[in-house]
Amino acid sequence: MFSTIRKTVLTLALLASVCVAGQASAETLINGAGATFPYPLYSKWFSEYAKIDTSVKFNYQSIGSGGGIKQITAGTVDFGASDKFLSDAELKAAPGKLLHIPTVMGAVVVTYNLPGVHKGLKLRSSDVADIFLGKITKWNDKRIADDNPGVKLPNESIIVVHRSDGSGTTSIFTDYLSSVNQEWHGKVGKGASVNWPIGLGGKGNEGVAGQIKNTKNSIGYVELAYAFENKLPYATLMNKNGKFVEPSIKTTSAAAAGAVKHMPADYRVSLVNQPGDDAYPIVGFTWLVVYEHQKDAVKGKKLVEFLNWELHKGQKMAAGMLYAPLPAPVVKMVEKTIKTIKH
Amino acid sequence: MILRSITLRRTANLSATLLMGGATLLVLLPLIIIFYHIVKMGISSISLDFFTQIPKPTGEAGGGMANGIAGSAIMIGMASLVGLPIGIFGAVYLTEYGTGKLATAIRFCADVLSGIPSIITGMVAYSMLVVPLKGFSALAGSFALSLIMIPIVLRTTEEQLKMVPATLREASLALGVPLWRTSIKVTLRSALTGVITGVLLAIARVAGETAPLLFTALGNQFWSKKLTEPMAALPLQIFNFAISPYEDWHRLAWAGALVLVVLMFGLSLAARWLGRSKHS
Repeated sequence: MFSTIRKTVLTLALLASVCVAGQASAETLINGAGATFPYPLYSKWFSEYAKIDTSVKFNYQSIGSGGGIKQITAGTVDFGASDKFLSDAELKAAPGKLLHIPTVMGAVVVTYNLPGVHKGLKLRSSDVADIFLGKITKWNDKRIADDNPGVKLPNESIIVVHRSDGSGTTSIFTDYLSSVNQEWHGKVGKGASVNWPIGLGGKGNEGVAGQIKNTKNSIGYVELAYAFENKLPYATLMNKNGKFVEPSIKTTSAAAAGAVKHMPADYRVSLVNQPGDDAYPIVGFTWLVVYEHQKDAVKGKKLVEFLNWELHKGQKMAAGMLYAPLPAPVVKMVEKTIKTIKH
Repeated sequence: MILRSITLRRTANLSATLLMGGATLLVLLPLIIIFYHIVKMGISSISLDFFTQIPKPTGEAGGGMANGIAGSAIMIGMASLVGLPIGIFGAVYLTEYGTGKLATAIRFCADVLSGIPSIITGMVAYSMLVVPLKGFSALAGSFALSLIMIPIVLRTTEEQLKMVPATLREASLALGVPLWRTSIKVTLRSALTGVITGVLLAIARVAGETAPLLFTALGNQFWSKKLTEPMAALPLQIFNFAISPYEDWHRLAWAGALVLVVLMFGLSLAARWLGRSKHS
């Protein structure tokens, strides 16, 4: 009986390996990994692109921005993706010159659970920072109440929820808090994970959203798409020009309009707290990170073809999935950058 | 006096029974809740498409996890090819040949290995295979899974071989059969059903492993064509879809969880059935 089973297993395994080997073809597989935030859009792009160019497949795995940077540096993937641009030290650590290719922009929203208060609670940016610093502790604090006449705010403690894992969302949010509040800038700073002064931690957007749904009088931050899809209430924030702005594709794009004039050649720029009446204050680019010198000629060529497609046709799919497309002047700039990729 | 004592005893007996029955129910409750919840959430998304289609991007109806199911099967198969022989023959060595300090050391190492968190196994495979070969691959994933299988198979097989009566071995040796042949043809053969039970349990264990695959097989939203490329796996896809913001991906994740749980339940049942038929 043992030998029969062994033979069966061996035969099956042999068959399986023959099948797998037999499928091997001229098709190119390009692997990428990184940011979770653009994953739904990227998976849509790669699925669509597989129909346009059947000789190539792009496999994208969302392991987080930090993971994306690490893997492209180690050379285990063909492209990385990140919501946080690489620091000079990180760029130096890579074995070759890395290029940032901005793909779309996203917004982070402040979400809350206040019984009886729907979306559109008005908050000043400095007040948001003070809430996360633990300096505004009650919902009916005068500073919040003054901006929201007619809204019945409870005399309850504010429960702060933040991300416990390292994330691009946190990076954008803390960048915003640092730019609007000196104390935050000095005491906590910005980064993918920071030493939060107060609050409960939740893993991932879903962890934060879950905590907020289950905790009355709580406040936290999640990605725009996440808040929309899950119908979470979100705050209207005061921007640099002193206007209250609701998060949307339009107000996200407006944030980039101001930054376009000062766009550095390597696109390593923060989009938080930008000037402009319509500019929503918590906005960031998300980038693909690729080597300027592509080692594999075939993969390099296919990658460049895809980048050009994404930059034009792909952009049209962004808004439907709650990502803001790149402004036209940035598209022009990126076109030139893509031309510098050597393969 | 006697009457009261009997009533007292009966009451004590009844309350003890109730207490233990309640405790048993509490043990079963989490399993029942998990099963009920997964079936409730997942059953509506199970369709033929789920087993034949690859995932579709969010917003498009349909799509399945066929590549994940196939990927899991291929990687578990390859892990078994390496892990089962090593585990089984290692156990034969321990019971039939191994003596003294070396055998104790091997047993100790196997116990330590089975206690190592699976994420660490994944990291080892990452640094040993993924980084030097400059790429994530199904091979690295299988390697990580086989590392998890070996100690499980080794220890369960060893337990089964120990239960084979010494007289059987002696009879075979007395007939002039060499020890290696006795070990394989007589000892291992008599313990076969028990060994297969252990193998099935080991497969059930690795089938649900996500952590060792995160940094080795990586995952693939398409069909994998080569073993040296990233490959999809069912637990990985469940993980990725469950943390996404989209309702249709959540549904696929629940369906995947249901398939995985049913698979593991089936394997455990098969293992039980094999184990029982031996004694009947």
